[in-house]
Amino acid sequence: MNMEREKADKGHKNIRKVSFDCVVVGGGISGMETALNLANMGFKTLIVEKEASIGGKMILLSKVFPTLDCSSCISTPKMAETFNHERITVFTYSEVKSIENAQSSDSSPSEKPSFVVRVKRRPTYVDPSKCTGCSNCEKVCTVPRPDQFNEGLIARRAIYIPFPQAVPKKAVIEKKGLSPCSRSCPAGIRAHGLVALTRNGRFERGVLRAMQDAPFLGALSGLCPRFCEGACTMGKRGNKPVPIRDITAFLLTFAPTGSNDTASPATRLSLKDIKGAEGEDSPVYIVGSGVIALSLSYYLARAGKDAILLRDKGNDGAEGELGGFLWDAVRDGRISRDILLKDIELIKESGVAILKDDEIEEGLLEDMHREKEGLKGVFFEGSYRDLYKIVEEKGRYELLPYFVSIARSMSEDILRGKRPDGLSGYEQILRDGIERTERLNKDRGNGSDALPIYMDMERAVNEAGRCLDCAVCSECYECVRACPASAIDFSMREEEVIVDAKAVVAATGFKLFDAASKPLLGYNRLPNVITAMEMDRLLSPTRPFNAVLRPSDGKVPANIAFILCAGSRDKTAENPWCSRICCMYSIKQAQLLMGAIPIANITIYYIDIRAFGKGYEAFYQQARAMGTSFIKGKVSRIEQADNGHDLFVYYEDMERKGKIRHARHDLVVLSTGAVSNHSLAKAIKGADAATDEAGFFDEVSSTIEPSISNIKGLFVVGAATGPKDIPDCVIHAGACAAQVASYLLRGEG
Amino acid sequence: MKKDSAVYNRPSILVFSTESISDPGIDLAGASHMDYPVTVSVISLPCSTGIDPRWIVFALKQGFSGVFVAADGMDCSFIEDCTKRTGDIVARAQELCKQEGIDPKRVKMAAICSVCSEAFQKHMKNFHSALTALEQGDDEA
Repeated sequence: MNMEREKADKGHKNIRKVSFDCVVVGGGISGMETALNLANMGFKTLIVEKEASIGGKMILLSKVFPTLDCSSCISTPKMAETFNHERITVFTYSEVKSIENAQSSDSSPSEKPSFVVRVKRRPTYVDPSKCTGCSNCEKVCTVPRPDQFNEGLIARRAIYIPFPQAVPKKAVIEKKGLSPCSRSCPAGIRAHGLVALTRNGRFERGVLRAMQDAPFLGALSGLCPRFCEGACTMGKRGNKPVPIRDITAFLLTFAPTGSNDTASPATRLSLKDIKGAEGEDSPVYIVGSGVIALSLSYYLARAGKDAILLRDKGNDGAEGELGGFLWDAVRDGRISRDILLKDIELIKESGVAILKDDEIEEGLLEDMHREKEGLKGVFFEGSYRDLYKIVEEKGRYELLPYFVSIARSMSEDILRGKRPDGLSGYEQILRDGIERTERLNKDRGNGSDALPIYMDMERAVNEAGRCLDCAVCSECYECVRACPASAIDFSMREEEVIVDAKAVVAATGFKLFDAASKPLLGYNRLPNVITAMEMDRLLSPTRPFNAVLRPSDGKVPANIAFILCAGSRDKTAENPWCSRICCMYSIKQAQLLMGAIPIANITIYYIDIRAFGKGYEAFYQQARAMGTSFIKGKVSRIEQADNGHDLFVYYEDMERKGKIRHARHDLVVLSTGAVSNHSLAKAIKGADAATDEAGFFDEVSSTIEPSISNIKGLFVVGAATGPKDIPDCVIHAGACAAQVASYLLRGEG
Repeated sequence: MKKDSAVYNRPSILVFSTESISDPGIDLAGASHMDYPVTVSVISLPCSTGIDPRWIVFALKQGFSGVFVAADGMDCSFIEDCTKRTGDIVARAQELCKQEGIDPKRVKMAAICSVCSEAFQKHMKNFHSALTALEQGDDEA
């Protein structure tokens, strides 16, 4: 049922059409600067940024070389200016899916193409017009994730504001559909949510959350064939699945207890009252006492309807005893009597009014049955009597979640003002359920009638801790409760925006070389080998630990090595080019480290120092004068010392007869090179965007015509055309904006 | 502010911050667990030029010991002469204070950038101790 609903949702995608003079893909420094220049010239510009905040890599840096200006201090105003500009629209958390109508520049010289850019706006599940950025939600979220804006050095939550300087400063929820466990539950219980709450020790919240989804939690935790555990990724990877059903049974001990004495109505309910009850706010009468009647009234009461249950004698197979076939399960020893009584008590507590015999007029039920056809607002469980046969004849109590599911879809129909569908559709649900259960039991090799295992608190928390958070957000709804602005909206769907644009600018920047692909350098293998971007985070004003600490033991490193050209100028890594930025950012970090840790010895292993450009050579000489050691030598491998923390760097010492030497360091920083980010090139339809051998966008002639690509109307800027430092990106963005403006105005005057 | 709590929390500081520049800096001070007086309350505005001098006087009359304008400095993304305009507003507020018999030292302004968490902490501590000295002087007189 759930899956069907999801499919329907997917088909119902919002599509919107807009038009802009220029679409800038990428909201880093190059993209922002290009957009600002264009907007200041009067062009309507759209920025599409894949992250939840603009700013790109620059906002994450500590300082910029060679001036040592605070990077985030100089980029925040630019970000704010971009976001607030009247002619710039910013789509964050969005991706360009395709760029259509592209023609190569030599095909039709006179005509200017108009691009159709399809932008996928991912749902953030937070209404940005309501979110105030207070971060209350982050504090209660139950799912930790590595923080991509801190290079995974610390954790963020599934709901997060990217960083304190984020523009826009709005929370987003990382959510990849539904977790397999939650999706597989026929009763619609968000299994991932209750596991996540258990892991965090919020047991009472866990049971309350599960009660939002389904009644009969106790009976389900004894009878359900554990579809969720069959779907659990942990189980599929050869481990034991997270024991979700047993965790549910454990959580039930935290279920709320309270009085359920509803005041008796002054007058006895008569047929006249029922007949008079028609319209939106009138109560729904349910005649029956079985699982469907109870679940249906539970769902209706949860949705805010007045649900009034009239116990029907002799028509639901269980002599009017509340719980129907579940009493057979009690008699068969599958669940305990106390659990069932507790379940029924919880249903009463949710607001279902169950009328006692002295609260209805005598003979009312008989009258109602007689006038069945005329009573539109009354639900008779007896009409669905056939559904129970299969359980009664074969004792298939494990179909309970499907009965709950049937009641849920009936309640949805009733809330929509429809009468529940005929019998056959629901029979099909049960037949599917039988088939699915049999398949599950066959795969598992045992029956589903295993009794729940008793868990103590420690075990439940540990078992829940094994959850892999498959879909990231667990739908535990803690953020919904914590948000003072009611901004969380789980009904948000992906939106596709079709943008009509006269020009497109690719400002997609670069990626950093994956240091793990050179195993000899030890990244990922040795904890104290980090990348320069991680070091930049450790040094930045928004640094995670407020100090430079090495990962393995949190010691302040006193002897730090930088290894240049890690993943550039290296044919074995398939990156033969020089990344231009690594020498200078390493020298910058060396200077900053000497400020942060005055006792530190810094060694830089280099092939050549490339300090071109104004002020760069002086910056390099300054680092030398401050006491940084520069060793000309290629590092071949890094090994760990016996103490498990320090590292040995093996290198070829080129200045001293080329001998292989080794040196001991506390921390090694790999100055990784820049590699291309070529996902956008694939999105361009109609013509192939020219790229160089490294995958960066090619300019037709970078010497005399910067920013112009081989496709008419497509411009390339910044590090998307090749590794560039920040000043060069800003200059290039100015050039690009001028090129775009001249292209847009050409032939129009 | 109630009289009791005002006495208990003295000296209390009201800070006007700006959404995109000084507010992230102040946030960062909190996120980095930096310690500054608990009596600091922050109201965030889009731009410090939007402050009305009468608000500052109102806040002081309501019981705040001091008002601190965390301006954008040169970083403002809306107006080029933001610093000058904000400066004028603060000067006018101080003028109004004098007319009302309030010590103009209770109004202070400084530029706080988006990562100036340490600078903010320092300003708060200094302003707090200056206000404490001011109030002790008042008590003695």
